Amino acid sequence: MKRRFNYTDRKKIKRENVSINFIRQNDTIVAFAVNKLDLSDLNLPLDSRVYVEANYRTELKRFDFGSAGSINQLSPCDLRGMAYPENLKFRILVVDISDGKLLAHADKISPAGPTEKKPILPVEFSDLGNEIWKVEYEGDEGSPILRINSRIPNIQNISIQDAQFLLYVYPQVIREVLKHMVFVVGVDSITEPSADWHGDWIKFVRQLRVDFPDILNKNDENFSEVDALRWINDSVTAFCDSYSNKFEEYIDKLEETP
Amino acid sequence: MMNLRLMLPEGEHKFREYIHNLKTNSLFQRPELNNEPFSKEFSASVSIDEKKQFNSKMELAEYLQNCFSAADLKREDVLPRNGLWTWLAYVWFDQLAPITNPATSERNLKEDAKYLCSSDYRNYYRHLVSGPYSIYSLNGADNSNIFLYSRVNEHNDFVEQFASRQFIISHKNIIEAIRRLYFDSQRGQPKRGAQSRTRQGNIRRFVSVIQQFELTYDIYTMPADIILNLLPPEFNDWKT
Repeated sequence: MKRRFNYTDRKKIKRENVSINFIRQNDTIVAFAVNKLDLSDLNLPLDSRVYVEANYRTELKRFDFGSAGSINQLSPCDLRGMAYPENLKFRILVVDISDGKLLAHADKISPAGPTEKKPILPVEFSDLGNEIWKVEYEGDEGSPILRINSRIPNIQNISIQDAQFLLYVYPQVIREVLKHMVFVVGVDSITEPSADWHGDWIKFVRQLRVDFPDILNKNDENFSEVDALRWINDSVTAFCDSYSNKFEEYIDKLEETP
Repeated sequence: MMNLRLMLPEGEHKFREYIHNLKTNSLFQRPELNNEPFSKEFSASVSIDEKKQFNSKMELAEYLQNCFSAADLKREDVLPRNGLWTWLAYVWFDQLAPITNPATSERNLKEDAKYLCSSDYRNYYRHLVSGPYSIYSLNGADNSNIFLYSRVNEHNDFVEQFASRQFIISHKNIIEAIRRLYFDSQRGQPKRGAQSRTRQGNIRRFVSVIQQFELTYDIYTMPADIILNLLPPEFNDWKT
């Protein structure tokens, strides 16, 4: 089981109680607005201070939103001067003014975006020298991006339509991403991981109807490498099974070849 | 002097190829990438001295800060431009990967991320040009010393332990506390033993303690003095 230390009885601000939007000018992010910040279910002291922080890498900007008893939404909050506005995430803190302790907290909140579905594995085509593909962890919160070598003729169509490409490349990509997630980065929770992309990939594997081990957190003393590797292998197998028609198509093509 | 340029994908490919080839053939010819389609001009108002030698990361960061300020370029204008940092690493490559054996021209080569600026969250702070500039432009000279005291081709443990952690590097008061604990300003070097893995209150322990504070206190509003006072007794020796 994942152990969470919370000696100060810090409360969790639920995601559904927060809504933040970027404000753009000429397609550039210049500010954000907090459309919803509901702390009413947390029973916080009315004079505790409420702050919203925008952050990414070295960048951090804090905005005072008044007190828990009287939230002043200073919208829109100016983000000009921050180096990576597109990547910003938000942290909400409620602070006890008497001793500076955190009373409630929510972290890594993404602004509400367009409603279109986001792929869990964006694909980009670029010159990879003599490599056909590689996975780089350069998306939000280090999420994976599949890079495919643009020097291969007609690769954009091949990568979508060709059964051989799909069977040779994607199972290994899935294996690579899951191994990275579990053994390099670490999944802190199966039910509520702190990184959004971990949640997306866990959901993807659940849809493949794969049995999960009890623990995927490599830092947990009960973590089993064997179980984690078994889970990864089962996920890859289940993915391949879901494309059995492509496998047949591939075999048929080989058999037709004189 | 040269106008500041941005490395383009074709140029990055050639630069990467050059670095990889140097590992097996130290005499491999350096490609000329100061023209299109390998790179393009970023700003005619910023001139870069490609022959300038830097004695430390601090000198490099100060030089760039002055160049950018003179052209009214702000941190947010340059920091996200990976191609700019890759081009600067190309221009100053001889001092970022110096020849260590003149007889064979063998170089002290590090991982690609030290020269090719990447958005990868695991590597971005490791770039030998953008890393120092990012720290200097954020913290100013005094509080950057502990990260930027070393030679331009060296990646020190302070950068690895602190700059890689968003919560730490983005809080100026924590950076000031780190400087006051671990930097010997008279010697212009970190205090001896700070990077030890076994000594009490070493920098790795500092990271662990701050990570506990992160979810306990509102660190943002705490002056460095208060952060230092909150540290457990194992850090007392470093406060003197």
